[in-house]
Amino acid sequence: MTRAAIALIALVALVAPARADDADRAFRDAQQRAIANDPGAVDAFEALGATRPVTAWTDDAWSEAARLAERAGQLDRARRDLEQVIALGTDPQLVRRARGALARLAASTGAGAWDAIAAEHERLVAQLGAGDPKLVLAQLEALVRANPRYPRANLARLAIAAGWEREDERDRALGWYEEAAALEPGRHAWLEWLRALVRAGHLARAEREITRLEHAPETDRASLVEIRRTLDRAELRAWIRRALWGVLSVLAVLAVLVLRRDAGSWRSAARRLVRPPLEVLYLVPIAGVLVAVAHTGNPLVAAAVRAIAIAGVLVAWISGAMLDAVAAPRARRVLLQASLAVVAVVAATYLAVDHDRMIELVLETWHEGPATR
Amino acid sequence: MRPAVLLLVIAACGSSDDSFVEFTDTGGTLAIEGCGYSITTRLGAEPPRPAIVVTGDDPTPRLVHLGLVGDPRTSIVAQWRTVDEETRTTTIRYAEGEGLPASALTKTASGIEFRYLSTGGELYRMHQAHVCDLTAGTTYSYQVGSEGHFSPVYTFHTAPDVVAHPDAEVVLGFVGDSRGGFDVWEQLVGQLVQRAPDVMLFSGDAVIVGISQPEWEEFLGRGEALFSSVPVVLTNGNHENNAVNYYAQFAMPGDQENFGFDYGFAHLTVANDTPEDPAALTLANADALRADFEASKAARWKMLMHHQPMWSAGTRHGSNLTVRDSWGPIVDAYHLDLVLNGHEHHYEVTKPLFDGAVQTTTDNATVYVVAGGAGADLYDSGTGFWTQYSETSHSAATIRVRRDSLVLDSFHPDGTPISTGFSKTKL
Repeated sequence: MTRAAIALIALVALVAPARADDADRAFRDAQQRAIANDPGAVDAFEALGATRPVTAWTDDAWSEAARLAERAGQLDRARRDLEQVIALGTDPQLVRRARGALARLAASTGAGAWDAIAAEHERLVAQLGAGDPKLVLAQLEALVRANPRYPRANLARLAIAAGWEREDERDRALGWYEEAAALEPGRHAWLEWLRALVRAGHLARAEREITRLEHAPETDRASLVEIRRTLDRAELRAWIRRALWGVLSVLAVLAVLVLRRDAGSWRSAARRLVRPPLEVLYLVPIAGVLVAVAHTGNPLVAAAVRAIAIAGVLVAWISGAMLDAVAAPRARRVLLQASLAVVAVVAATYLAVDHDRMIELVLETWHEGPATR
Repeated sequence: MRPAVLLLVIAACGSSDDSFVEFTDTGGTLAIEGCGYSITTRLGAEPPRPAIVVTGDDPTPRLVHLGLVGDPRTSIVAQWRTVDEETRTTTIRYAEGEGLPASALTKTASGIEFRYLSTGGELYRMHQAHVCDLTAGTTYSYQVGSEGHFSPVYTFHTAPDVVAHPDAEVVLGFVGDSRGGFDVWEQLVGQLVQRAPDVMLFSGDAVIVGISQPEWEEFLGRGEALFSSVPVVLTNGNHENNAVNYYAQFAMPGDQENFGFDYGFAHLTVANDTPEDPAALTLANADALRADFEASKAARWKMLMHHQPMWSAGTRHGSNLTVRDSWGPIVDAYHLDLVLNGHEHHYEVTKPLFDGAVQTTTDNATVYVVAGGAGADLYDSGTGFWTQYSETSHSAATIRVRRDSLVLDSFHPDGTPISTGFSKTKL
């Protein structure tokens, strides 16, 4: 080997690590800028990626540049940076991710034709959790209406539907679910619509839809089995709710009629109802403490405790007024009235627990024991 | 009859006897040759045994998924079931390279198999092939099954050697609570496949009932596009409820409940917050947590995954105060970067927390993430003093780990990003 060749090798051996160190430093600097949300971070990564000779950090720099460009909604720039990762990548995982990201971008933007719409779509979705949801949802609606052929229009419809459902505008939500479902019969959007119908209590409609597409070849059967189970449960609970409201209504009417009879007149009955009986004076502070304590914990439990406490006070009030209206009530009457009061409280308790799907929590606790808290 | 033929007949009769093993549900342990570790099955499963050549009516492999038990730089575990429950042949064919044809898979290894008992007295057989002679940071092609009945060729990638490659980036996929919503789960799987994670982390509650095998088949079947190429690590949720199906189907390090492993620049600790003996939560499992944190305290990035969040403003379960009281001080003492949870079916990222108080920087504080929206019915998200961001939506996340940075990006099933993630640098 000539002296010149040895000198060249020695020079390369000295310079190459130095360049790798420089690249390492440049990568760290760009990373710091990215974490600080400096928009110049993409430029810094791209500059490092374009620096020659290629180092171990080159493909990493292009990969980071692409990620930041995509996040900034600069999709064409992200695509170009990803192509660089594929062309120069030495890490097969980085290359695989770049290919995946390109495929993902193609699926959402149709190879670039929908870049602006996709960026606006993602910007609006990101705002849903932060700004005024109704305003953002209206903007999303306008975007979908103006661009029905946008590749992710149906996914946007589902996001709009879920958003309106969270805002408690159920009819508007169901309209969007139905529109999305019509384009994907038997598949995800349709299943989401069925779930929404069950949540909104439109059980007959859900039943009809399931029957219509139950045997269609495109239907996702495993998910449908799960929804069918949910629907059956919802139907049973709806039946129990109706029955319990019936029981409560009958008991209320019966109580008023008996009170009227025992008090002698409607006016006298009303007077007795205005004045709280002794047991209510004892119960109200206890109920108040229970409600206050419940409000320091799980909000679902708090709402149920509040409803049960109010129902308990009402039952005690009416029951007390009825007993006060009788000079010397017989033991059998007292026993019967107490039993009916218990029935009323149990019915009200079920209705309170069934509200907001808290019954699921109760059943889960029943099956699996209390969660450690 | 010639003596040689007679010997063959006797040998064939002998192997036929070997193929019949009466089921015992005692569990057991088997050392895996060449890997330096052993596999233990639980009560409700047979002791694991080396596979022998026995094929049933339909030995077609299905529900192929990868796991990790040993060093992820040099080992992988392929797991599958067959259409029939009689096949005992358990073979993996593999070779270095991406997208190789089956004919190029020149290396072969035989694995282990065992059965487990599930609901209704049904017996299910699990196949595991352990490969421990791999090279770090390398892509391999593989297929599993038996002669004439191999799976399609899949690929996997070993963990990088970060000493040789300080520029290495690893991506951890993170998701939990798919139970009862497998169409959403399938959508998220599609999104995750495109993001090509190195490892999938699943924070529990994959199924509603842990002992229901059909649910597991649904979970694994819809996840096969991901799990056949990316090893999955799970933590036990209250719905897995320590079922034998769960432990039988997922090979993981140590006792499969409380363990840790390095992947790239990250160290991940997994802990069971729903142990069979509830007392273990604050005793044995807390000790295991402390021991793993102590052993990995030099790790660049430290993460913990368990099911029930210490910090969550979710309206259904909220924060698990017992876990927080017991494990929180340990997490603080070792300055973990990230804690990953599920249980609440929503998405939530906390502010940096230390000793129960919000910190102004992430330097010595921990951020807690709940991403329990892999398909299960959503619960309303709430906010607490600790909440950085929360929303009621189905979601999954990726965690990009480099030497100097950790970035959590989350997204919906339709691929749209969630605005608030988490990022941190260490220089």
